[in-house]
Amino acid sequence: MADTTREPILEVRNLVKHFPLTQGIVFRRQVGAVRAVDDISFTLYPGETLGIVGESGCGKSTVAKLLMNLERATSGEVLYKGEDISKLSGRALKAVRRNIQMVFQDPYTSLNPRMTVGDIIGEPFDIHPEAAPKGDKQARVRELLDVVGLNPEYINRYPHQFSGGQRQRIGIARGLALNPEIIICDEPVSALDVSVQAQVINLMEKLQDEFGLSYLFIAHDLSIVRHISDRVGVMYLGKMVEIGSDAAIYDHPTHPYTQALLSAVPLPDPDAREGRERIILTGDVPSPANPPSGCRFRTRCWKAEERCAEEMPLLAVPQRYAGADTAVAHDSACHFAEEKQHVAHA
Amino acid sequence: MTDDRLLEVRDLEVEFTTRDGVVRALNGVSYGVDAGETLAVLGESGSGKSVTAQAIMGILDMPPGRITGGEILFQGRDLLGLGAEERRKIRGPKMAMIFQDALSSLNPVLSVGFQLGEMFRVHRGASRKEAKERAVELMERVRIPAARQRVNDYPHEFSGGMRQRIMIAMALALEPDLIIADEPTTALDVTVQAQVMDLLADLQREYRMGLILITHDLGVVADTADRIAVMYAGRIVENAPVKELYAAPAHPYTKGLLDSIPRLDQKGGQLYAISGLPPNLLHVPDGCPFHPRCPRARDRCRTDLPPLYAVSERAAGGAADATAEAAEAAAADAAHDDIARVPEVGERSSACHYWKETVDDARRA
Repeated sequence: MADTTREPILEVRNLVKHFPLTQGIVFRRQVGAVRAVDDISFTLYPGETLGIVGESGCGKSTVAKLLMNLERATSGEVLYKGEDISKLSGRALKAVRRNIQMVFQDPYTSLNPRMTVGDIIGEPFDIHPEAAPKGDKQARVRELLDVVGLNPEYINRYPHQFSGGQRQRIGIARGLALNPEIIICDEPVSALDVSVQAQVINLMEKLQDEFGLSYLFIAHDLSIVRHISDRVGVMYLGKMVEIGSDAAIYDHPTHPYTQALLSAVPLPDPDAREGRERIILTGDVPSPANPPSGCRFRTRCWKAEERCAEEMPLLAVPQRYAGADTAVAHDSACHFAEEKQHVAHA
Repeated sequence: MTDDRLLEVRDLEVEFTTRDGVVRALNGVSYGVDAGETLAVLGESGSGKSVTAQAIMGILDMPPGRITGGEILFQGRDLLGLGAEERRKIRGPKMAMIFQDALSSLNPVLSVGFQLGEMFRVHRGASRKEAKERAVELMERVRIPAARQRVNDYPHEFSGGMRQRIMIAMALALEPDLIIADEPTTALDVTVQAQVMDLLADLQREYRMGLILITHDLGVVADTADRIAVMYAGRIVENAPVKELYAAPAHPYTKGLLDSIPRLDQKGGQLYAISGLPPNLLHVPDGCPFHPRCPRARDRCRTDLPPLYAVSERAAGGAADATAEAAEAAAADAAHDDIARVPEVGERSSACHYWKETVDDARRA
């Protein structure tokens, strides 16, 4: 369970990533920017799972890349145990990366087809020799295979000899190799079959208990995120629109986008079909290169008023719930944040 | 069987010849769809759900594929006996298909208006101008805003949800009696998925079309389907009306799928997971193909391939108050069922020797 009284292990402050849009070949002029991530802040505590949900294009994968320093942030800070890692490079960056590892979405493309499983899982030791086990590296790799529920005899096989779920286990074993403190999981189960998803989720929970890992769990499947997360953040068009405990987000959402998102999830219960009210949003997500003024959700929001176009709502506890000691009182970036009754959801 | 029966697939068998040997993708699949009804075909990758759809549409790649047995009755006619030209006349005006990935299913170098109009030009002999006019109407019908301005746009200029609407428009163009939707919303976000499924349901009601919805999403199925056929390793393992299936699944595989959905009361605990992996179709296990993963597997499952048993309320049901005597009678029934009762296509059925226990356990829970 998360221990929120402790120091956060990872703190993200006002993180921004703009991808420049350029024109011309020789003299490249910047004509605009895709605002993939625009001023996002959140914290991750030791042993906690923070889920991040949102639709495609909302910037959740960019957040993952920024935390891994695979992309350079335009501005903002990523504090790992109080130290800003977003501007590190060279040896210092490498040292930090030992403690932050990643599990990727697609187990078919994230494993090198020409390397054996042993090489793939052992590669982190070549990059970080100081973390490599003394003596027999193979033994450690076998141990890792065993930890993720694969037969240690498979060490000399190639990725194509495994099914999707098994490959994802290999990816997880590689992530675990260096005993990291944080694992960033970008849609770790969305490429897997339904019956295999549950196996991988169970494995991830088991590993968290065993090694005291902190997860940043990025996914679009809301029911899986609820199952695994202690806290959940909802992103829309590069902004965090609502963040809080899993009960706060799923049972007491106050942001209209979260409410619409939850109501759109089809329930695996045919009896609920008739009774429930669904909010069907109109239109598509606007382009992040030219986001709407004020609140970014206002173009699709049924509550939008003039104020929403002029004033950007801040991510804070809504005034009407300020001081309330319930799950309703959590951060929500809406001028008219209000709990909606009867939002049926997963 | 009803007079409304639009499509009936009987004991369909399909094989693929591959380098590693012959893969039996379908081993006797049977299902039926009535007019105005939605049949959901549920299964994991490799279970044969898409192959069945392709065989019905007549777009199966042959070779390497080969239909080795069975029949596909569409409005009373066996499609497998028809020639290529006759099949072509059915595809479009009578049945149409919506594919999963709209971007790769549309031609990137032709405008969407041209591609939509193609249906009218080819099948109805419309002129180019007429066809474009009809394309605009279609785009309006699937609620694409500013259809007249966008009719000459290319597929890449539309968002994912809009592209899927164009696919739906194309399938609807000639107002077919049957639509096969192969994972129509898998590539879409939930809010867009809700829009698209809503639209599909409206149009289906309007035209009273039969709809075969191929999916692996148990939520979408619960929301839209009337009946469900669950596939595993090239067979139908369970066939049931949607509410009965969710209330009390009669096959351990269906039960496993339903149990592996994360539920609120399991928060923090273990998710139920079906152990093992889906079988390799080159080496399907003997007996029941699900037995290596099945918690109920017994000796008989390892040797006898279970046929589809008719699941009747009479034999199952009332388990809670069953006396020893009634249980005995039920057992006798079961023995009787084993030999005598072959379920009709579309009747509730389960391909498990021990379906009765499975249903009763589910009811008790």
